[in-house]
Amino acid sequence: MNADSTSNGTLLEVEHLAKRFGGVVATDDVSLAIESGGVQCIIGPNGAGKSTFFSLLCGIQQPDAGRILFEGREITRLLPFARVRLGLGLTFQTNRTFGELSVRQNLAVPMALRSSEAEERYRYALELFELSEADEALAREIPHHQRQWLEILMVLAGGPRVVLLDEPTAGMSPEETSHTAKVLRHLNATGLTIVVVEHDIAFVREVAERVTVMHYGRIFADGPLADVTARQDVRDIYLGRA
Amino acid sequence: MGLTGGLVPPVIAATGFGGERAMDELAVIASVLYQFGTNAAFLLLCALGLIVILGMMNIINLAHGELMMLGAYTATIAYQRGVPFWLSVVCAFVAVGIFGAILERLVVRRFYGRELGALVVTWGISLILAQGTLVLLGPFMPAIPIPGGNFAVGQYSFSGYWIGMIVVCAALIAALWWLYNRTEIGLHARATMQNATMARALGVNTDRIYMLTFSLGAGLAGMSGALLAPTTSIQPFMGQQFVAPAFITVVVGGAANVIAGALSSSLLLSLVKTPVGFLVGAFWGTVVLLLAALIIIRLIPDGISAAIQRWLERGARVR
Amino acid sequence: MRILELIGGNEDIGRGPLFWLPFALVVAAFLAAPAWLTEFEAYNISFYLLNIPMALGLCLLWGYCGVLSFGQVAYFGIAGYTYGIVAGNLVGLSWGPLAGSLAGLAAAAAVAAVFGYFVFYARVQMWIVPILTLVLTLLLETFLGQTAGYQWRVGSVQFGGYNGMTGIPSFQLGSHVFFGFSFFYYVLVLVLACYLGCRMLVNASWGKVLLAIREDALRTEILGYDIRFRQWATFVLAAVLAGVSGLLYVQWGNYITPTQVGLLQAALPVIWVAVGGRDKLLAVIFGTYALNWLNYSLSSQGNQYALVIIGGLLVAVMLFFPRGIVVSIAEFLSPRRRRSA
Repeated sequence: MNADSTSNGTLLEVEHLAKRFGGVVATDDVSLAIESGGVQCIIGPNGAGKSTFFSLLCGIQQPDAGRILFEGREITRLLPFARVRLGLGLTFQTNRTFGELSVRQNLAVPMALRSSEAEERYRYALELFELSEADEALAREIPHHQRQWLEILMVLAGGPRVVLLDEPTAGMSPEETSHTAKVLRHLNATGLTIVVVEHDIAFVREVAERVTVMHYGRIFADGPLADVTARQDVRDIYLGRA
Repeated sequence: MGLTGGLVPPVIAATGFGGERAMDELAVIASVLYQFGTNAAFLLLCALGLIVILGMMNIINLAHGELMMLGAYTATIAYQRGVPFWLSVVCAFVAVGIFGAILERLVVRRFYGRELGALVVTWGISLILAQGTLVLLGPFMPAIPIPGGNFAVGQYSFSGYWIGMIVVCAALIAALWWLYNRTEIGLHARATMQNATMARALGVNTDRIYMLTFSLGAGLAGMSGALLAPTTSIQPFMGQQFVAPAFITVVVGGAANVIAGALSSSLLLSLVKTPVGFLVGAFWGTVVLLLAALIIIRLIPDGISAAIQRWLERGARVR
Repeated sequence: MRILELIGGNEDIGRGPLFWLPFALVVAAFLAAPAWLTEFEAYNISFYLLNIPMALGLCLLWGYCGVLSFGQVAYFGIAGYTYGIVAGNLVGLSWGPLAGSLAGLAAAAAVAAVFGYFVFYARVQMWIVPILTLVLTLLLETFLGQTAGYQWRVGSVQFGGYNGMTGIPSFQLGSHVFFGFSFFYYVLVLVLACYLGCRMLVNASWGKVLLAIREDALRTEILGYDIRFRQWATFVLAAVLAGVSGLLYVQWGNYITPTQVGLLQAALPVIWVAVGGRDKLLAVIFGTYALNWLNYSLSSQGNQYALVIIGGLLVAVMLFFPRGIVVSIAEFLSPRRRRSA
């Protein structure tokens, strides 16, 4: 089942992570553990620090304080490309495929460091996302939802252990969102750890096992889906009462 | 630059301060300070026009050296016709400023957002200007004698002109600061620098700001060229000698804050260049500049002004 | 065969028999030079050709990788002067020129490696690279210019200040010295090899990653690539190619002056590449050949405006044919081909 992950181990962990930009505190003493093989959704109002959190995990930004651990190994000072090679994958909040390159060229770029399970996941997603490695259409010309899928595929092509998806279904119709959820669930079932930032509650419900709520750069709540979404104070944050 | 060095017979030292010995030491200090000041002034004059444009439009104007050359030529021609030197400098400022505005309207504005394209096209323009000047006006122009005399302290000679230029630089910085921080147009300019779209939405005529900024940058380059004209020979490729120092100063200063960047960069680089130039010679001074620039950008990739900005923001805490 | 596959790929203009047939014809025409060219004409054409490797290097660096260097001529000069020194000191030894050539390339690569380290590992903003590379070449010119005087020599070879280094030995292999038609063939073969080699590179995965870095360096990094290393390596490669041109130049004219690394010369590769079409190797070849021919034609007629015209051409192309003349034509001629930027 979970062929290439340490079952029930902690894959990715942060301890007391903090980041400030000028006068704005983006990340405030965040400690979080992401279990291997799970699907974790990070939700919270805009500006809560979710994307910054992902940047810190990937090394695009350096934290002011705290540690980041991958399989128990400290990676806080590791350069982004090295983290990716360890098994981290990231899609960006605003779609970052290579717009002026064709779909074929986009898919030819990622490193092919794949185990056979990762290869299978990539092939599966390629088919279900209805994209072709021979497509000469430019990435900026294909429909928006396919471009989102293209970015996910590019990340999968590198055979990561864990993918960080930043609002992958933004701008998608409900059918496309549901389809994305289905694909992600299957990928997770084959052993891929998924952490996804999302606003769409329907998507969260379809996909998540655990939910983390971020607010003002801090972890407000963290736990199984049912527990967290049942909490009144969580709903208050979303409705702007907190 | 480098106008000191035992060219002038020693002056009889004034006694009463402890004798000749103290006077000599004072002279050395004065000389070093003077060299530091003139080096910084030179770098600042070279770089000012470039930084103004870079800070606003994120464009490196590779025709900068040629704009300085045009300023020098304008001043020389005016001076040859009997116009007093300081007025010739003003003419240079105005003439090259107008030329810059035309250049911006016709060519440069199509390259906003395309930084590398702007670099290449301004290089093409610099080629046309330099070669064109060679063809139209010939290889040499009569030189302008340095205004102001020399005076001596100890065994060192100091040029009154260069001292004047240090003063002019200080005045320029002050004037620019006043322009950017105390006038409405300066406010518009700063808004456009920070967020052009937002500024436009608030009614700022960003097109006009860009044109005026490029024009100002060109005018400053022309003025610098005119001011430096008496110190060098006037020929079509004279802009070349200013290109390396200008670019190094700009790279080290960065674009985050125009005035802070220009000032701090000139001072810092002069700090590096003065001792080396003093001991080994002007060429190695420039080499050391490049080395210093490489090291500094390795440590602070976006330039000193950005580091200053970050340091200033560190103090600001919300909550 | 893998090599044929790589040569035949998509990332440059032209593929398939429709391209390779005319290509082969042109090469054959050049190979049959003695039949229709005088030795003097071949000598001139050698000059147009020898600049191509430098242009190819800039094409890789700027067109494919998105890094603009204004100072490629610095490596042209470093290789040329180094060859002059080494081969000049080994005069009389048949392997002297070969040793000099290797030394020249090594010197160019070494300087680029060190300089490139400071530039690319600092992760500077991209506009800084053209500036610093330009400054380097200007400093090199100033340095070389003040090497007049007897004390400026290595072994028996003088630098010569602004008058330059003269009496540089021609290239030779064994007992055969290359000049005239044999030099022409030597240049042709080398240029072909460089072109095909570059073509293989851009069609291989290295080339695809370069394109990705050009388009979005951050995204490429988050796909696991060490951007700085790739940019640095491409920079060094471009320097070696510029060095090849430098070597061929001194082996062609037997002299070199500091003007070859000066401001005007530094502009030329950028102009050739920009006018032809910076992101396609073949376009760059056309551009380099044509502009060198134009420059020669204009100056040999005593036209003082040669450089003004060429500068004007650059401005016009940047304004109206931003992708380059040859690339624009190629795109116009093949409507099915998608823009790969």
